[in-house]
Amino acid sequence: MDSRKRLLIIDDDPDFVEGIKSILEKADYEVEAAYNPKDGFQALQTRPYDLLLLDIMMGRGAEGVMLARKIRKDPRLRDIPTLIITGIREQIAFLFPGQPVHPHFLPVDELIEKPVEPKMLLEKVSTLLHLAEERKA
Amino acid sequence: MVKKPTFSQEIANMLYASHGNPLSSCIQCGTCAGTCPVVHYMDHTPRKLIGLINSDYKDEVLASNTYWFCASCYHCTVRCPSGIDIAEMMYALKRYSMWKNRYREGLIGPVFSETFVKTIVKSGRSYEPVLAPTYLFSFGIREFVQEAVTATNMMIKGRLPVLPPRIKRLENFKQMVGRIIPIGEVR
Repeated sequence: MDSRKRLLIIDDDPDFVEGIKSILEKADYEVEAAYNPKDGFQALQTRPYDLLLLDIMMGRGAEGVMLARKIRKDPRLRDIPTLIITGIREQIAFLFPGQPVHPHFLPVDELIEKPVEPKMLLEKVSTLLHLAEERKA
Repeated sequence: MVKKPTFSQEIANMLYASHGNPLSSCIQCGTCAGTCPVVHYMDHTPRKLIGLINSDYKDEVLASNTYWFCASCYHCTVRCPSGIDIAEMMYALKRYSMWKNRYREGLIGPVFSETFVKTIVKSGRSYEPVLAPTYLFSFGIREFVQEAVTATNMMIKGRLPVLPPRIKRLENFKQMVGRIIPIGEVR
């Protein structure tokens, strides 16, 4: 069996997904992408993933948060480590300039903001995967 | 494996939760353009815009002013024989262009929306004297004076608030907004 870790990206920006995907695939992860929250949730339910990379601003607005809340309620998905990658501050900065994005929509998440530094991304991904394995053990 | 989505698929992804039919079901009948009360000011009619999206003309779509002139009267949505939610599509395009910072320069729409949302979040109500300057200066002198006279008359008659209105339990309202948009102070 393939021992590579399987990652899922849910983000509506195809260019961003391409970039992140190539970084992660180089680091020997198996990466899949969904471009809207509905497809993403379906993918999560049909196949097990080791890590989820989630965007916030999708569809009608901050739907990533709604998806995170939905995941939190699902007992099977609740423990999937999630890395929230968001450009929300840039996208609606006019609303609350300079204020932080609230972290922790899920009990097991981590938040980074776009633009993403490749090194930091890989670090966070491996830390989250490591923590998840420790929890399982 | 899903392939990289095209522009039309990107817009379809923005509209994934919309109740209307997908844009690809458009039959180019022109009912939307014929119905639209502001089509006169648009550089592409709604029908043309849907055609452009379906054929992936991203730059042309983003450079047009059509979706910013949409008055959201929903007449096109009501009359569309294919059941496409066209007004919702206009909103999706507004969001798309604002999130990507790709909207055309010199439009009133983006600044207006920004100011509107800001006043709502701050006081819970819209306040016209703050909102008006976002578009007032793009008018000619005569229209400007006319607008000022109308506003003064409305203020005298009590139809326009002099001080910004405030709602009861503003803090609760702000917390509610904070639940929906996860930015701002952590509570």
